[in-house]
Amino acid sequence: MNAVSSRWRRWAMRLAQHAAGVMPGARSPWADAMRRELDYIEHDSAALRWALGCVLASYRLRLADRPWWSARGNWRHVAASSMLMLLVGLAFHDRADGQTEPPRPALNETTCDRIDAPVSVRRNHDNADAERVQPDCADRDRLNRPDIQPDR
Amino acid sequence: MPRKPNNSRQTRALLAAFLERSRTWRHGYDLSKETGLSSGTLYPLLMRLSEQGLLEERWQQAERPGLPPRHVYRLTASGLALAREQELAAIAAERAGAFA
Repeated sequence: MNAVSSRWRRWAMRLAQHAAGVMPGARSPWADAMRRELDYIEHDSAALRWALGCVLASYRLRLADRPWWSARGNWRHVAASSMLMLLVGLAFHDRADGQTEPPRPALNETTCDRIDAPVSVRRNHDNADAERVQPDCADRDRLNRPDIQPDR
Repeated sequence: MPRKPNNSRQTRALLAAFLERSRTWRHGYDLSKETGLSSGTLYPLLMRLSEQGLLEERWQQAERPGLPPRHVYRLTASGLALAREQELAAIAAERAGAFA
C-alpha cells in the first residue's frame, strides 16, 4: 500500500467516523454497519467514495429526524407567516382609509377647459401626424370658436 | 396524486436485487455494487424498508479472522411479497410497452 492510498484510506475512516457521530442515536447500529463495511472494501478510492456516501446518508437522516424539518412543522411556519402578512396588510389598508389610487395633482394639464392654459399633447412617434393636435383637445376649442374657420 | 410508497427507481432496483437471491443474507457493499446505488442512497433505503417491516437485519461474524462483524439483510415475507408484486408490475408494464 503506497502513501497516497493509505492517506485516502485514513480519510475514508475519518469520514465514516464523522458520519457515525452525525447519525441520530437511535440509528447508531446503522452507522456502525456502514463504517464496518469499509474494512471489506479493497480499493482505497472505492472506500473513500463509500465514506462520502456515509456522510451524505447520516446528514440526510439527521435532517429528517429534526422536528422543524418535518412537513407538519413546515406547514405551521408557512401558516404563521401568512397570517402575519395578512395582518400587516389589513393594518396598512385601514390606515389608507379606503384610498385606492394616488392623490391627483392640483392642476390637471391634460384638460382643455381653460383656453389660455397650455395644452399638452400626447406624442406618437410611430405616427406621421405625431405633431398634430388631437381633435379631442385643442381642435375641439377651435371648432367651438366661430372666429376661427376649421381646416377643409 | 400521492406517490405510491416504495415505488422509486432506486427502491425497485434494491428490491429486485434482494429478490434475485431471496433467501441469502446480503451485505451493504454487495448490494451497492449490484444495484449501482451509492452508500448515501442505499442505507436510507435499507433503514426505511427495515422500519416498514419489509427487511430483516442481523450481525454476521466475519469469515476471515481480524475483520469485524458485518450487518447483513434479507427480505421478510411481506418484503418478498412486495418485491414479487413490483416485479410482476414491471413485466406487465414492459409487455404493455411492447404491444403499444
